[in-house]
Amino acid sequence: MNYLELISHVLPEIAVLVTALVLIGMGCAGGSRGGGKAVLAVTAAGLGLALAAVVFGPESGRLLEGMIVVDALTRLFKAVLLALTLGTALFLFPGGEAGGNEGRGAENSALLLLALLGLLVVVGTENLLLLFVGLELASLALYLMVVFAAPAGRPAEAALRYFFFGSVAAAFLLFGFSFIYGATGSIDLRVIAKVLAAHPVEPILPLGVGLALVGFGFKVAAVPFHLWAPDVYQSAPAPAAGFIASASKVAGFFIVAKVLVLGFGVVEGSADWGAFAMGWAPLVAVLAALSMVVGNLAALAQQSVRRLLAYSGIGHSGFILTALVAANAEAVRAVLFYSVIYGVASLAAFGVAGCVLRARGADRLEDFAGLGRTAPAAAGVLALALLSLAGLPPLVGFFGKFQLFAAALSGGTPGTVPGLLWLVALALLMSAVSLYYYLRVLKQVFFAPAPADAAPTRDTSAGTAVCLVCGSVLVLLGLFPSLVLQPLQRALVQLF
Amino acid sequence: MTIGIEHILAVSGLLFVIGFFGVLLRRNTLVVFMSLELMLNAAMLALVGFSFFNATMEGNVFVLFIIAVAAAEVAVGLAIIVALFRRRHTVQLEELVSLKG
Repeated sequence: MNYLELISHVLPEIAVLVTALVLIGMGCAGGSRGGGKAVLAVTAAGLGLALAAVVFGPESGRLLEGMIVVDALTRLFKAVLLALTLGTALFLFPGGEAGGNEGRGAENSALLLLALLGLLVVVGTENLLLLFVGLELASLALYLMVVFAAPAGRPAEAALRYFFFGSVAAAFLLFGFSFIYGATGSIDLRVIAKVLAAHPVEPILPLGVGLALVGFGFKVAAVPFHLWAPDVYQSAPAPAAGFIASASKVAGFFIVAKVLVLGFGVVEGSADWGAFAMGWAPLVAVLAALSMVVGNLAALAQQSVRRLLAYSGIGHSGFILTALVAANAEAVRAVLFYSVIYGVASLAAFGVAGCVLRARGADRLEDFAGLGRTAPAAAGVLALALLSLAGLPPLVGFFGKFQLFAAALSGGTPGTVPGLLWLVALALLMSAVSLYYYLRVLKQVFFAPAPADAAPTRDTSAGTAVCLVCGSVLVLLGLFPSLVLQPLQRALVQLF
Repeated sequence: MTIGIEHILAVSGLLFVIGFFGVLLRRNTLVVFMSLELMLNAAMLALVGFSFFNATMEGNVFVLFIIAVAAAEVAVGLAIIVALFRRRHTVQLEELVSLKG
């Protein structure tokens, strides 16, 4: 390995970092005041360069004992993360100006890019040290995004809560990693997998994996580590919440799937009914069941749409973890596919919620009344996003959920009752529950009359463009899911 | 008596538990903050111990990174606390954050 090779493998990360530094410089020079267009242009250019570096960069490579890994899967997910971040960046600038950010668009964009940098590092590594550093970089930037340039009031409190929960989760993750390192003598996932396959399991390893699961559970907002999510989603500026719900969650599921299946596939255990075996599968199954039940039932009672989206996100974590319990190639494909479409749908939903919030000053269900008439584009996209989350055909959410549940049932010996039937049955039930609260929102949007005195919600150009793109992605993928599934399948063949 | 890995793990586990309960039970934001650092230190101690007894360097390198990350975390956390203190003039947790889910 030489430095040229190293640089060529981390070119996307370098592009993002340099752009972030340029933006911080612009912020210091006061360039963000009235220069929102310049900030947006720099951000978009940086993300575009990084995307080009991903697409045209090296196709595979494994440097520094797995610290930097480039293969089809990491390239696909880096591209997804960059696209989601570009969408978030456009939401930061309603109408192309730094209007909603009190003249702090440059710093806000820089934080967004630093968070993205952390996620890119997380996706592109098989090393526990870089995994931790990347997660922390993303988390620290996200804590600040929640509190930064937000109107006075709750965001700082939500950020403090997010910070404390996040730091405790990071400590658990770290303590778990130290036990994993102690039990296997390595922090490289592939070496760990080899050691586990060759030697009997050390007694401290289960403890390490369990502690690490606490940290990962926080990252994907699984019950009982979800307490930060509703407050943060509700109080943070809408673009920050959208990023946490989309890009951060996609990277979270990517890394959970990769660590558990790639590193600890040997100690999976079993969560099959009547055949429980110690391992991480029963733990994940419990997280999944709790998340589905708590998330979906709590969402029923919410009045704030962003809070509702937070609880629905917790429920979706449960759906995704359900498939992860099966832990075969099909399950990993379903998990990754669904996390991507979940990210797209929530980005669109938070974008529309942000539009309403700017126009009406609140995001209660009543504030969405009459949106279908005043802002038909936004309302249409919101309908697509929510119905996709609910899993109605022909939107991609239906196909994604079908894959998740089919993958969960695919394990076990043929001809017998699938062992995970209990979990999938629960998931189907909760899926039906979720349809009710999504339709509650849509009923307000399309059938309730707009209050006469309310300021009309108008579509803003940049935000609407992103929403429309997200909406058309949801429809297009629903009709042709193989557009993403086939590259994913090819990428996974290399992994397994 | 020779110090073995189990002694180091016992101390480290104790530190972690003390830190965790500090975070759960203490009401002053700054003390909660210190308890968080205690949890990180517990992980560092375990890593150094494993590194010594595994005779590999990864654990020690890991610890150096954690020290840097912990410093960054302090900077961000204190910034949030100061932002809150300016508005609310208190660092007591129950007055700052409602604990409902």
